[in-house]
Amino acid sequence: MIEVFTLAFLMLVSVASVVAAYLAIRERDMVKAIVYSAIQSAMYALIFYVLMAPDIVLVYIPVSVGITPAVLLFVTKKTERYDGD
Amino acid sequence: MISLHDEVTLFIMIVFPLYLLAFTLYIIRAVRGPTIPDTVLAIDALSFDIAAFLALLAIIYQSPILIACTIVLALWVYALDIYVSKYFTAEEMGD
Amino acid sequence: MLLNALLIFIGEALVAIGVFCDLAASIGMIRFPNFYTRLHAATVGTIGGAVVPLIGVALMALGADWLGNYRFFLAGASIVAGILILLLAPVGSHVLAQAAHKAGLASHEPIAFDHLEEDRRRGEKE
Repeated sequence: MIEVFTLAFLMLVSVASVVAAYLAIRERDMVKAIVYSAIQSAMYALIFYVLMAPDIVLVYIPVSVGITPAVLLFVTKKTERYDGD
Repeated sequence: MISLHDEVTLFIMIVFPLYLLAFTLYIIRAVRGPTIPDTVLAIDALSFDIAAFLALLAIIYQSPILIACTIVLALWVYALDIYVSKYFTAEEMGD
Repeated sequence: MLLNALLIFIGEALVAIGVFCDLAASIGMIRFPNFYTRLHAATVGTIGGAVVPLIGVALMALGADWLGNYRFFLAGASIVAGILILLLAPVGSHVLAQAAHKAGLASHEPIAFDHLEEDRRRGEKE
């Protein structure tokens, strides 16, 4: 029974990460796109957790939910916010 | 009477779909929210509840080393809140 | 044997309360009409839906004999995470609300009074 629930959880989280990645690509407002990419990385960290690899989760979360949105927000503050036509 | 091990496994199997339903509703609000603080607030609440759910999974997989990811997730989601708020109110990031 | 069963029973009760609060908060996040009213739902979701189940998991782990000697490690880390979330979550949502009010991001349509706006306008006039 545990395997069935593990597979169902993996399927749901993968679909959610694909949806978040698609929304991150098609968005014209840069700040929203950064937040959507943070959601996608959090879903990837969940997949790594269910596959029983805690050391990868411990590195993936600070890099992709903590530091990369911060650096990209710095860059967006100094350049333009909306995607040019 | 069933043993304690089987009883804990059965309880977590019953609680599992209810947590997944709550996560789906949070993600609907994160995608649909008309403003950016709406989205970040939904991610904030979603990540804290995912941290509590990961602790439950650590019991059912019988591997107690998996609990360290809970603390790290909670701390970095708090930092993401602070970044987004500083973007909107400070004149220059770094103040 | 009896002590283990008692600890697991109390832990499961706390987790059940946490699941109920979590469902109520997620339904509230969809149905509330405004950003400032959704802050109330997010507070219930983080404190009732994440701190209380973590304490429940700690009690459950203390009564589980089949995990071996590592169950004390699991219980200690769960309590530390619960205290951290109890301290950090209100600060995070307060900072978001302050940013949304100062930058004028969220419209406050169905409310009647805005005392913070009156105070700020009075402060700027002086």
